[in-house]
Amino acid sequence: MALPKISQLLIKFTIILFFGFFLIPIFFVLLSLLGEYNNNWTHLIDYVLTDYIFNSILLITGVSLVSLIFGVGSAWFISNYDFLGKGWLEWALVLPLAVPPYILAYAFTGLFDAYGTANELFRLLFNISDNYVFFPNVRNIYGAIIVFSFTLYPYVYLTTRMAFINQSRTIIESGKILGLDNKSIFFRLAIPMARPAIIAGLALIIMETLSDFGAVEHFAIPTFTVGIYRTWFGMYDLGTAMQLSSLLLIFVGFFLILEKFERNKLSYSLASSTFKKFKKENLEGWKNFATFFFCFFPLLVGFLIPILEITNWAINFSSDNFFSETFINSLFNTIILGLIAGVICTFFAFVFNFLKRFDNGFILNGISTFISLGYAVPGLVLAVGIIQFFSLLDKGIFGPYLGIALTGSIVGLLLAYIIKAYALANNSIESGYERIDRTIDYVALSLKTNKVRIFFKIHFPLLKTSILTGMLLVISEVIKELPATLILRPFNFDTLAVTTYIYAAEERMFEAASPAIMIVLIGLIPIFFLTRIIRDSRPGNK
Amino acid sequence: MNEDKCLIIKDLSFGYQKQEEILLDANLSLNNGEILGIIGASGIGKSSLLRLIAGLEKPFSGEIFYFNKHLNSKSVFVPPHKRGIGLVIQDKGLFPHLNVMDNVKFGISGTKKEKIDKAMHYLKLLKAEQFKFSMPNNLSGGEQQRVAIARALATEPKLVLLDEPFSSLDINLRSSLRTETKALFKKTKTSCVLVSHDLDDVTHFCDRVLRLENKKMVEFID
Repeated sequence: MALPKISQLLIKFTIILFFGFFLIPIFFVLLSLLGEYNNNWTHLIDYVLTDYIFNSILLITGVSLVSLIFGVGSAWFISNYDFLGKGWLEWALVLPLAVPPYILAYAFTGLFDAYGTANELFRLLFNISDNYVFFPNVRNIYGAIIVFSFTLYPYVYLTTRMAFINQSRTIIESGKILGLDNKSIFFRLAIPMARPAIIAGLALIIMETLSDFGAVEHFAIPTFTVGIYRTWFGMYDLGTAMQLSSLLLIFVGFFLILEKFERNKLSYSLASSTFKKFKKENLEGWKNFATFFFCFFPLLVGFLIPILEITNWAINFSSDNFFSETFINSLFNTIILGLIAGVICTFFAFVFNFLKRFDNGFILNGISTFISLGYAVPGLVLAVGIIQFFSLLDKGIFGPYLGIALTGSIVGLLLAYIIKAYALANNSIESGYERIDRTIDYVALSLKTNKVRIFFKIHFPLLKTSILTGMLLVISEVIKELPATLILRPFNFDTLAVTTYIYAAEERMFEAASPAIMIVLIGLIPIFFLTRIIRDSRPGNK
Repeated sequence: MNEDKCLIIKDLSFGYQKQEEILLDANLSLNNGEILGIIGASGIGKSSLLRLIAGLEKPFSGEIFYFNKHLNSKSVFVPPHKRGIGLVIQDKGLFPHLNVMDNVKFGISGTKKEKIDKAMHYLKLLKAEQFKFSMPNNLSGGEQQRVAIARALATEPKLVLLDEPFSSLDINLRSSLRTETKALFKKTKTSCVLVSHDLDDVTHFCDRVLRLENKKMVEFID
C-alpha cells in the first residue's frame, strides 16, 4: 500500500530541504571564487600561499609514506603470519583512531619539549645537566607528519587488512608456482591486488590531514586551514577566507573522487567463490620479535604514549579538573550536541535508506550519495560557508523580526556536525539494510502491511544495532570536531574539544588533560564496536 | 637413479593434522614425457599430492626427486618458486588485476619483446590470442582455463601438474580442450600429472593411470 499523497509530498519536501541545507554552505564557499579578489588576496599570493601549498603537499606526502609503511606492513603481517601478540594486535591497531591528531600533538609537545617528560626522564636516568636536550624538537612539520601518521594509519590498516585476508589463496599460490618468493609475492601480487583498498584508505588519511586545524596550529605550521583561520580572525576578511577555503575544497575534492573511484574497483581485490583459508606461517626467533615490534610500534606511538602522558598530567597534577565547572559544562554541552546530531543523522539516514529500498531511483540515490560526501569537507570550510549562509538569512529573512537569530547560534554548529557526520550514520544503516533480505519486505507487503508499519515493526527492530552504531559514530565525530566548533559555537559555549584547545593554546597542558582524556574515552566506544567487527571479519569466522 | 624418470616419489606421508595422514608411504614414478593420471574419490588426497610435488605443502616424511634432483626430504626443501614445475588448478588462479597477456607473461623471464613473443606463442597454441587484452573476469570458464594452461606452459616447465582442470567445463568444451592440451603436451614433450575424479578425463587424456586408495597409489585396472 502506498503512502497517502500528502505524506509523500511532505517527505519529498523534507528531503529537498535537508539536501538544500547540505548544499548551500558548500555552494557559498565555491561561489566566492567568482567574487572580487581584494588586497588581502594579493598579500596571500605574494607572501604565504606558496607556503600553504608547499607545507600541505609536504605534509600529505610524509604522512602518506609513513602511514603506508605501518598501515600496509602491519596489515600484511597480521593477515599472513602468526607471531607474538598477533591475537590482540589485530584489533588493538585501530585504537589510535580514538585519539584526534591535535591531542597527540599536545601529548607530543608535553613529552618532547626541552623540559617535557621524556627529556626530564632521560636527564634523570643518566644524571645529565638540565640544559641537555636529548629528543629533537617536534614542533615542526616532521613532528606533524609523525602525529598525523600515527593517529590516521588505521584507515589504511583497516582497508588493506580486509583486502589481504580476502585475497584468494589460489592466486598467491599461482604466483609461487610461477617463480615468486615471499618478497615478490608481497610487492608483485598482494600490493597490486590490494591497491584500490590501499588508495581508498590513503585518500581518507589525506583528507583528514588537509582538514586538520588543531595539530598544525599547535605546531605553528602554515597550511591551508591555518591560513583560512588567520585570514578570518587575523585580517577579519571572510571573503578571502572563503576563497582560500574554495582552493582547499578543490584540493580535497580531488582526493574524494580518487577515493570513490578506487573504492568502486575494490571488487577485484575481494574474495571470489574460490576463497580458501590461508595456513598462516608461524614466525620464530628474531623474526617473531621483530614483527611484534613493527606492529606494536604504531600502537605505542599513536595510542599508549599519549594516553600515558595525558593520564600522567591528569592524575599527578590536576585531578580536581574532572570536577571543575569548566569541565562539567563542556562535557554536558558536548554530550547534548552529540546526542542531537546523532539522533538527527540516524533518523534521516534511516528514512533515506528506507525510501531507497522501495524507490531506488536516480534522484534519491544521487541525493543520498551527495550528502554522504559531507565527511570530506573540512570543518573550517564548512564553518566559513555556514557563517556566510546564516548571515545572509539573518540579514534578509529573520533580521526584521528576530535580529541576528542564526549566526552564532547552536543551529550552525549542529548543521556543521550533521553535514560532517551524516555519512557515518548512513554507512552503518546502509550496511545494516544490505543484510536484511528483500523477501522480508515482499512477504510483509503480501500480508497487507503498509510501508509505515514495515518501517516501525520490521526494519527498526532488525536495524537496532546498526542505528546504535551509527549514532555512536556520529557522537564520537562530534566530540572530536574542533575547527568548526571553534568558529561556530555560541558565545561562552565550550565543548570538550574547544576546552582542550584553549588550555593547550595557553600551554596549560595539565588542565587540558581531563577534557582530552574524556574525548579519547568517548572515542573508544565506537572503536570497541569496530574491534568486535574486526575480530569477526575473517572469512570462515562466525 | 634413472635418467628417463621425470619424477620419483618415495614413501611419502602427509596430512593436515598430525597423526591423521591422508597419504602414507605413497610411491610414484613418472617417465619423461609421460602423462600420468591419478584417480580417486573426492577428498582422498589427490590435490594434496600435487601440492606436495609443487612445494605448497611439506610432507611428514618421504622423498621427492625431480630429474634426479632432491626436492624434498628431512633436510631438504626446495621452495615452490625454485622448482620449475607448472600447476593448473580448477579455480584457474588467474591474477584478477592483470589482463590475459600480462597473466601469461608473468612467469616468463627475458626481455620485454621475448616475453611478449613467448606469451603470444602459447596463447596461439591454446587458441586464446584473440582475448589477449581482456581481463580474466570477462572470460568464460573455458577461456580462463586455456589462459591458465598457457600461463603454466609459458614458463616451459618439464612437468605440469593439472588439478581437475576440465571439471568446471561443459562437455563439448571439455572434450576439445582435453584433446588439444594433450596434443600440445606431446608436441612440447612436457610430462604431466593429471588428477581427477572423472574417469573419462583420465582415460582420454593419460598414457597411464594410477588410483589413490587407502592413502597409497595402486595400479588402476581398467
